[in-house]
Amino acid sequence: MAVEELTALEKCLGLKAGKYSRRAQGSSQVPVLQTNSGPSLAGLATIASHLVTQAKKEELLGVSLEEKAVVQQWLEYRTTRIDRLTSKEDVRTTLKVSHENRQDLNCYLEDKVYMAGNKITLADILTYYGLHPIIADLSIQEKENYMNVSRWFSHIQHSPGVRQHLPSVVFIKNRIYSNVH
Amino acid sequence: MVGGTLYTYPDNWRAYKPLIAAQYSGFPITVASSAPEFQFGVTNKTAEFLKKFPLGKVPAFEGNDGFCLFESSAIAHYVGNDALRGASRLDQAQVLQWVSFADNHIVPPASAWVFPTLGIMQFNKQASEQAKEEMKLILTTLDGHLQSRTFLVGERITLADIAVTCSLLWLYKQVLDPSFRQPFGNVTRWFVTCVNQPQFRVVLGEVKLCDKMAQFDAKKFAELQPKKETPKKEKPVKEQPQQKKEKEEKKPAPAAEEDLDESEKALAAEPKSKDPYAHLPKSSFIMDEFKRKYSNEDTLSVALPYFWEHFDKEGWSIWYSEYRFPNELTQTFMSCNLITGMFQRLDKLRKTGFASVILFGTNNDSSISGVWVFRGQDLAFTLSEDWQIDYESYNWRKLDPDSEECKTLVKEYFCWEGEFKNTGKAFNQGKIFK
Repeated sequence: MAVEELTALEKCLGLKAGKYSRRAQGSSQVPVLQTNSGPSLAGLATIASHLVTQAKKEELLGVSLEEKAVVQQWLEYRTTRIDRLTSKEDVRTTLKVSHENRQDLNCYLEDKVYMAGNKITLADILTYYGLHPIIADLSIQEKENYMNVSRWFSHIQHSPGVRQHLPSVVFIKNRIYSNVH
Repeated sequence: MVGGTLYTYPDNWRAYKPLIAAQYSGFPITVASSAPEFQFGVTNKTAEFLKKFPLGKVPAFEGNDGFCLFESSAIAHYVGNDALRGASRLDQAQVLQWVSFADNHIVPPASAWVFPTLGIMQFNKQASEQAKEEMKLILTTLDGHLQSRTFLVGERITLADIAVTCSLLWLYKQVLDPSFRQPFGNVTRWFVTCVNQPQFRVVLGEVKLCDKMAQFDAKKFAELQPKKETPKKEKPVKEQPQQKKEKEEKKPAPAAEEDLDESEKALAAEPKSKDPYAHLPKSSFIMDEFKRKYSNEDTLSVALPYFWEHFDKEGWSIWYSEYRFPNELTQTFMSCNLITGMFQRLDKLRKTGFASVILFGTNNDSSISGVWVFRGQDLAFTLSEDWQIDYESYNWRKLDPDSEECKTLVKEYFCWEGEFKNTGKAFNQGKIFK
């Protein structure tokens, strides 16, 4: 899956398709990119960052120091948390735990349009790819439940070039389960 | 794209709309906001300008091909691109909905609330409170809409976002403090995202959200007002002050802010609680004591004898005032308001001043004159900028306290009784400044 995602990112960035292979690491598969110069690169976040630099779109990694740090934080979150979600329970925890725990994604996005700064970054794109199968699986009511994630997701999937081969997920902008918080 | 010129005064929030739209579309737009291209209040009154724009209002747009357009939202629509105007007919209708919403529902209460805090409009508690409540309703509506949406229409910035952002700009800068905007987190998220888009930033600069709700400042207001009122009587040319007045009325926030900055600087430069009479030796005449006598006891038998017994002609002076434009006095109640208005503006002079000002005559045939007592030997009005609003509309004559004339005037004016030979008109009503 990670390889398809990197191919989509290449297209999104306007790059030619690179040569990928997979390497087993523990129980999961890690993508490997064979570059023309130097050694091969391993890992989703590493390769994605490399592609962005190659496309000369460094602003996708954040502009200010803070933005860069936040982008890195979410790239790490993507590989350590999102890629390891297995059960529906996990999904629920990640998207929305409870109101005491402000660490979850839905709360994080409450006052933000993009994950870092005021423009789309690699953090948005990779989190979007990572969450796509999960969000596509949610019911209308669940999507409304994770309102901030849904709003963000809907916006990112409409950003030019980002969605690529992935199907567009439908969101209903007018709330229909308004009694649910 | 043909390009064109946008006429406006500097920092006009209405002009921001077309300018931001032009940033998105790349429409070549030239801003004419300063002389010689455009001078607000002068250029837009010329026959040439009025021929193109009959209203004489700005912003106004003139294309290089001669196409003329007024109303900022229409100009923004014209200089924008299809993405800003909305892709489908449905989107376009929604864009129009929010643009109209901004003009009809946000701007009126926003102005009622913000303008007094900038000192460009008189404060009216009821109107401000009502505007606050209306804004809550409007922000609630927007908040609900933006809860599930990133931008107002579709997934991109449109003219709707530009228009609504600009109409909320001064609210967020002046009065929407963190506690007020707390329930409207979705609106703030959207607003901050908009104003931080590069295309907005080029036009707006950095937008800092308000920390503390600005309140009406009477002092600022008083400092801004004189500019309107004093020249009215001073300048024989009728047109000029009128233009100036209109200019200040139309010119909303930014102009006021500049003025404020200047006056604030001037204020800061002055030592604040300086007693303007500090250089005078102590006086034996206690104004408060006289005022108590005047208010509580018979004027003729108690207050007047007290006055002459204790009056200190070294430390105090007596003045006769006469309104310079009696021909302009029409209805007597209006003339009375003129007097009481002057008293109100002189509020801080009360400690060291006393006056009895009387309106003589009837409607359309009246005059105003009075007797004033001030600390020191000079007119007090030059001591504070706040006091200079009205005094130039009067002729001032210092009275010799020992003269018979002075004694008569003081007696007649303090008692509101007598022949008032100096006026030639019958007593109508009097006002006491104390």
